[in-house]
Amino acid sequence: MTVKDFVLGKTVWRESKRQTAARPRLRSLGTGDWLAAVSGVILAFAALCALFPGWIAPYSPTSMEADRVLLPPGAAHYFGTDYFGRDIFSVVVYGARDSLLIGVASVLAGGLAGCIIGAAAGIAGGVIDLILMRFIEIVMTIPGILLALAIAAVLGPNLFNMIFAVAVSMVPGFARVFRSQIISVKGRAFITAARSIGMPAPRIFFRHVLPNAWSPVLVMATIGLGTSILTAAGLSFLGLGVVKEIPDWGTLLSQGRGYLTVAWWISTFPGIAITLLVLSGNILGDWLRDRLDPKREQR
Amino acid sequence: MRSRSKMRRWKMAVLGVNALLLVLAGCQTQRGEPGAPPEGQAASANGVDPVQPAGGELTFALATSPDSLDPHRSGLAVAVRVIRTIHDSLVVQDDNGQIKPWLAESWDISDDGLTYTFKLREDVKFHDGTPFNAEAVKYNFDRIVNPETKARNAVALLRPYESSEVVDEHTIRVHLFEPSSAFLGNLSQALLGIVSPTAAEKYGEDLVRHPVGTGPFKFVSWSENASITVERNEDYHWAPETVQNAGVPYLDRITFHIIPEEATRIGSVQSGQVLAAETVPPQNIASLEQDPGIQIFKTDTNGLPYTLFINQSREPWNELKARKALLYGVNVDAIIKSLYLGTYERAWSPLAPGMLGYNKALENSFSYDPGKAAALLDELGWKAGGDGIREKDGKKLTLHYVEVSPNREKRNDIAAMIQQQLKQIGIDVKVEITKDYRTVVFENGDYDLYGNSQVNSDPEALRSFYHSSSTSVAGKQSLSGLKDPAVDRLLDEGNVETDTAKRIKIYEQVQQEIMDRAAIIPIYVFPYTVAASRSVSGLSFDYLGYPIFNDVVLQEK
Repeated sequence: MTVKDFVLGKTVWRESKRQTAARPRLRSLGTGDWLAAVSGVILAFAALCALFPGWIAPYSPTSMEADRVLLPPGAAHYFGTDYFGRDIFSVVVYGARDSLLIGVASVLAGGLAGCIIGAAAGIAGGVIDLILMRFIEIVMTIPGILLALAIAAVLGPNLFNMIFAVAVSMVPGFARVFRSQIISVKGRAFITAARSIGMPAPRIFFRHVLPNAWSPVLVMATIGLGTSILTAAGLSFLGLGVVKEIPDWGTLLSQGRGYLTVAWWISTFPGIAITLLVLSGNILGDWLRDRLDPKREQR
Repeated sequence: MRSRSKMRRWKMAVLGVNALLLVLAGCQTQRGEPGAPPEGQAASANGVDPVQPAGGELTFALATSPDSLDPHRSGLAVAVRVIRTIHDSLVVQDDNGQIKPWLAESWDISDDGLTYTFKLREDVKFHDGTPFNAEAVKYNFDRIVNPETKARNAVALLRPYESSEVVDEHTIRVHLFEPSSAFLGNLSQALLGIVSPTAAEKYGEDLVRHPVGTGPFKFVSWSENASITVERNEDYHWAPETVQNAGVPYLDRITFHIIPEEATRIGSVQSGQVLAAETVPPQNIASLEQDPGIQIFKTDTNGLPYTLFINQSREPWNELKARKALLYGVNVDAIIKSLYLGTYERAWSPLAPGMLGYNKALENSFSYDPGKAAALLDELGWKAGGDGIREKDGKKLTLHYVEVSPNREKRNDIAAMIQQQLKQIGIDVKVEITKDYRTVVFENGDYDLYGNSQVNSDPEALRSFYHSSSTSVAGKQSLSGLKDPAVDRLLDEGNVETDTAKRIKIYEQVQQEIMDRAAIIPIYVFPYTVAASRSVSGLSFDYLGYPIFNDVVLQEK
């Protein structure tokens, strides 16, 4: 009787312990993964819009119908029409291309430049580190959007200048993160070990330092995608964007602002598109950070 | 890590809210200002002028910033709205275009039309105390024609001016090198307003920011891109007969706020932050008309309507057929319908309908016909290429369309529409939106299509746009680049003709000739609109469509 009870109790205890141990992990995985999955789908859809807008958009983004201006959202025009008589849904779909292109290209360019500077500073150390980092700090004192604004205003509105302007504003962040990452990896025991067995420096860098240093950069790049899309939209909104036939989201937002009281849909839908894309980038970035952070896995 | 970043976000949010509060606080004080008793009111309360209604401050939102308040060195209509409050002219044009006295009491014109003798008012003085006399008028005219002044539209307005002589303290004789029927009308314009010679000498080029005239209001301050303030001229009693109140204006002061953003400008008048706002966007007119607290003033501007000038000194637009193709290929009705929702009137002629000699026969004289446009381009050998853009001898048919930033009256949107319309007939339109249109268009002449309009009083205004002797663009041509003996001859005849009926015939003919040559694409006649609180009354407009504030009274709501 007592023995049976003990056994039963023990089983019960084990069972419950397994559940309590499993439950929180399951829950945290569930919510994060679910959000990340949705974000991934949104990003994938945006990418699809950017690559094959013709498959998705029901109308041409440049066809202007004087008889169909300022129509509210409905079955024929999901997002309504603007004051040119363009179908806003189609314009938003086509506008994804420039928004994403600027976002991705400027993150790539800014990230690459930032990482090179950061790596150079981290590996070389000493005076080079000092000079490069002071330079980066000087750039950092200027807010990113302001820097992009100044560059876009000076160079004039075209796609390349816009990417350049946004990219430059992203360089300092990448440089600082990558440098600190390199320095922390550089001091680890396995690097000393590799060096002690006579491994050549480039090999140590590419085989051991880089693979252990890149994950925060990936997180930054994902979040940076959102930021850069936002910056680019901001520039377009202020009229420093690219003058072109198919407006990007920022331009569309700005075109609709004079009509907010009479036709809210012109600005609202591109605004939602920007919000969704930026939010998705951030959520995916957060999720990636959780996945890639070794400290969090231990807990 | 996470909690710290959360902390930072929280701080950011607090900062943001603080910033917002600051902005709101700013609005609050601004709004509070009109309530505070302005200095001017003390005077009327003291019984200096007991019949005068309570003054107060009129806040008036302008759509863009004036470039200069020196009348002789400005060319922007928005600047004239302010200049008109500070400067008077020798004569005034009434609603019918008739010339009436203002600073000049009377005048005589010699039989050959070459000499004008003005008898000036003797009781006028400038805001800085300088007496207004024949010497001052002579100084003004000589200043305008002096190349060192770098006068803008004023030179063209004063054109046949040769010299003037002071007959006595208040009599001046003006000599022209050729007769001009437009001369008196031009003299009535604010751009030929009389500035204080003392101030002009003192400030030199800086007079643009320190205007001193004889007008109903005195200049107080100008803060760049924000506001311009003028206060009433307590000595004023020489208003022309076109306004009811010949004496000191009722308002204590007018503050012109510069609010380029359409939605903000209209929102400001709806919320009561300003009492009046100019240039109501078409999409807001309908809703504002239903707003019980708002009244809408609308007046048609006179002069040259908004017109797209085809630069015919550049290939292939030197060909009449190519220009005709543009005329048929641009769907102006669609532009009026979608961008202006039918609130603007379509223009058909180089002149606005209110002008002397306006040719009504041009209305509906042609219509949108892309097929005809394509056929004309085919005839010239421009054949459709693979991408739908026409080519000839390996060259693509492109058109460089220059428009000015910011997007005034949706002109940039017109460019976007025309780009699509002309694409359909195989023309690749490169739109350049620039702030620096002076360099691009007027110095370099680097445009195929450029839009412009001009507020003006007399059809003689056509000269600087269509006469072969015009040098406004790149020092060698007019905006249209038209160099046509027939047009030149008519313009010259129209200017010297004194018989009004004959003048009308001549200008009707000029408009016909210009349209026959497809020199331009007329787009719209600009209706100047002001949305004002119901507490504002007495706002009027002069012959050109500029607001006049002499009779404005603010009532308690």
